[in-house]
Amino acid sequence: MIRVNDLHKEYHVVKKGQGLSGAVKGLFKSEKLTVNAVNGLNFHINEGEIVGFIGPNGSGKSTTIKMMTGILTPTSGEVLINGQNITKHRKEAVRDIGVVFGQRTQLNWDLRLEESFELLRHIYRIDKKQYSETLEVMDEILGIGEILSKPVRQMSLGQRMKGDLAASMLHSPKVLFLDEPTIGLDVGTKYSLRKFIKEINRLRKTTVILTTHDLGDIQQLCERIIIINSGVIMEDGNLSEIVERIAPYRTLKVEFYDSDIPKHERAELISEDNNVACYKFFKSELTAAELIRDLSGEKAIKDISIEEAGIDDIIRIAYGIKNVE
Amino acid sequence: MKKLLDTLGHYLDVTLCNIKLALMVIIEYPASIAGWLISNPIQFIVGFATIKFVVAQFGEINGWNYGQLAFLYGLSVISHAVSMMFFVQGWFMGYSVIEGDFDRYLTRPLGVLYQFFFTTFNIFGITDLIPGIVVFIYGCIETGFRFTLGNAVGILVMIIGAAFIRGGIYIMLGSTSFWTKSANDFGQYTQEIFDKSTMYPISMYPESLQFILTYLIPIGWVSFYPVSGLMGIETAVGIGSGNVWITFAVGIIVMLAAGLMFRIGLRRYESAGN
Ligand SMILES: Nc1ncnc2c1ncn2[C@@H]1O[C@H](COP(=O)(O)OP(=O)(O)O)[C@@H](O)[C@H]1O
Ligand SMILES: [Mg+2]
Repeated sequence: MIRVNDLHKEYHVVKKGQGLSGAVKGLFKSEKLTVNAVNGLNFHINEGEIVGFIGPNGSGKSTTIKMMTGILTPTSGEVLINGQNITKHRKEAVRDIGVVFGQRTQLNWDLRLEESFELLRHIYRIDKKQYSETLEVMDEILGIGEILSKPVRQMSLGQRMKGDLAASMLHSPKVLFLDEPTIGLDVGTKYSLRKFIKEINRLRKTTVILTTHDLGDIQQLCERIIIINSGVIMEDGNLSEIVERIAPYRTLKVEFYDSDIPKHERAELISEDNNVACYKFFKSELTAAELIRDLSGEKAIKDISIEEAGIDDIIRIAYGIKNVE
Repeated sequence: MKKLLDTLGHYLDVTLCNIKLALMVIIEYPASIAGWLISNPIQFIVGFATIKFVVAQFGEINGWNYGQLAFLYGLSVISHAVSMMFFVQGWFMGYSVIEGDFDRYLTRPLGVLYQFFFTTFNIFGITDLIPGIVVFIYGCIETGFRFTLGNAVGILVMIIGAAFIRGGIYIMLGSTSFWTKSANDFGQYTQEIFDKSTMYPISMYPESLQFILTYLIPIGWVSFYPVSGLMGIETAVGIGSGNVWITFAVGIIVMLAAGLMFRIGLRRYESAGN
């Protein structure tokens, strides 16, 4: 469905002169600074996948999405959407994609939502029947019926996001790209957005690629994640497998009756606070049952809970690997 | 061929939809049009009164009498109005480059320049047309200009060519922002240069400047040469009723060059960082 081959992107930052004379000078000679935002990405995404693109700020997520959606021309390498090179055959290739940016709307400020939709219907040559069917589905999932006649400039962020989501699906694209869609959204809209992604993936087999900082989004939506840092892929694979591989440990939180906390030779005591202690242990070396048995043999236990490593740990570790290099 | 017609039909369909939406916005915010309706005609009438004053003082400008000047002035304003309707966005291209407005156009299956100019259709440009037509008709009467099918088509062709030259130059100036990465706002300067070199005969300027306006930045072809041809006035490039067609050809060439420059620039487009 999507193939990315050895993708690179450099930005050229121009130091600007002042005023008109500066601008004119800039035409002829200018000091340039090169930023290597993306450094050789290779991956393949199959139809119907939901892939989470994660990484710290400035790691190149947006740049990658913009190259995949035809907005930026790669410095080198290529992006194939359904076999078509998006840089060379932009007009054809973009028919298969929908794009939503969290920070900026694709809708026209001056128009009502339904007017923006009407324009899109003409742009993508969507037939009336398919159009009204999609609208119906979008109303069911997102409840956009009530905001259709509202001017976009009067919408709340959440309403606008719903409008953008529906707009991106009108032409039934095979792939949907979302760059930080949940940023700044209230809990309710965030919930609708996740429902929307799951539903279009289930109903239409839409392939979804999203970037997010929200771990909830990843946990609830993505089977596969691609971790990127400094424009390089650190990890690419099944979410639970990555967790299993790079963070194969759990933590056991134990509350004792007093603050005299026992140690264990095969578990690391990572924190203690009065009579509460956290032990980190590897599944391969020790079972939770063994640890609890040993600890309770030494001191009386009041309460316990077990936690798996979270995605935040995974990301931290993945970034950490890079830092060590 | 069939595919070409199909594509043209599609673009026409989208254009009509855009015009419809632009009209609806005007109906919704009528206050915004009032300013245009009042200020633009006033501006041009004042300009025209200035010419009248100059001519009254000196009798004529470089061999052009009052009626001929009105004819020139009127056609210049008309082609300006047409270029404003279709290409006014070009003045703001730098901002769109910096603000990342092209993101939206690039992700849609239509030409980027087309979308840039036609998704915000400037119907107000029509308001500029009115004073232009008034002055032009006045010039026709004053000079006793006789309309034939030939010169009527010629004038139409000239207006299209002139609007293309203007629009093409807006696009080229705007495209420089892809290289400078700053929002160069050339609108005002461009307008002053265009006004000074299309509303009056350029034969009143030094020869070096005339050369530039003829061959390098072909603004002379916007109105001076074609109108000279229509009026039977001799110029540096000779007299000719065929001048209107040269204007048309120059318009197409300038537009193609502008399109090419825009395309090359667009490859350097960097969207908006955060
Ligand atoms: N338009 C731009 N011009 C110059 N540098 C940019 C631009 N956009 C992004 N960058 C730089 O490229 C790098 C990657 O940015 P980006 O792709 O936005 O990262 P992310 O989306 O992961 O936060 C950063 O160092 C950023 O500063
Ligand atoms: Mg980003």
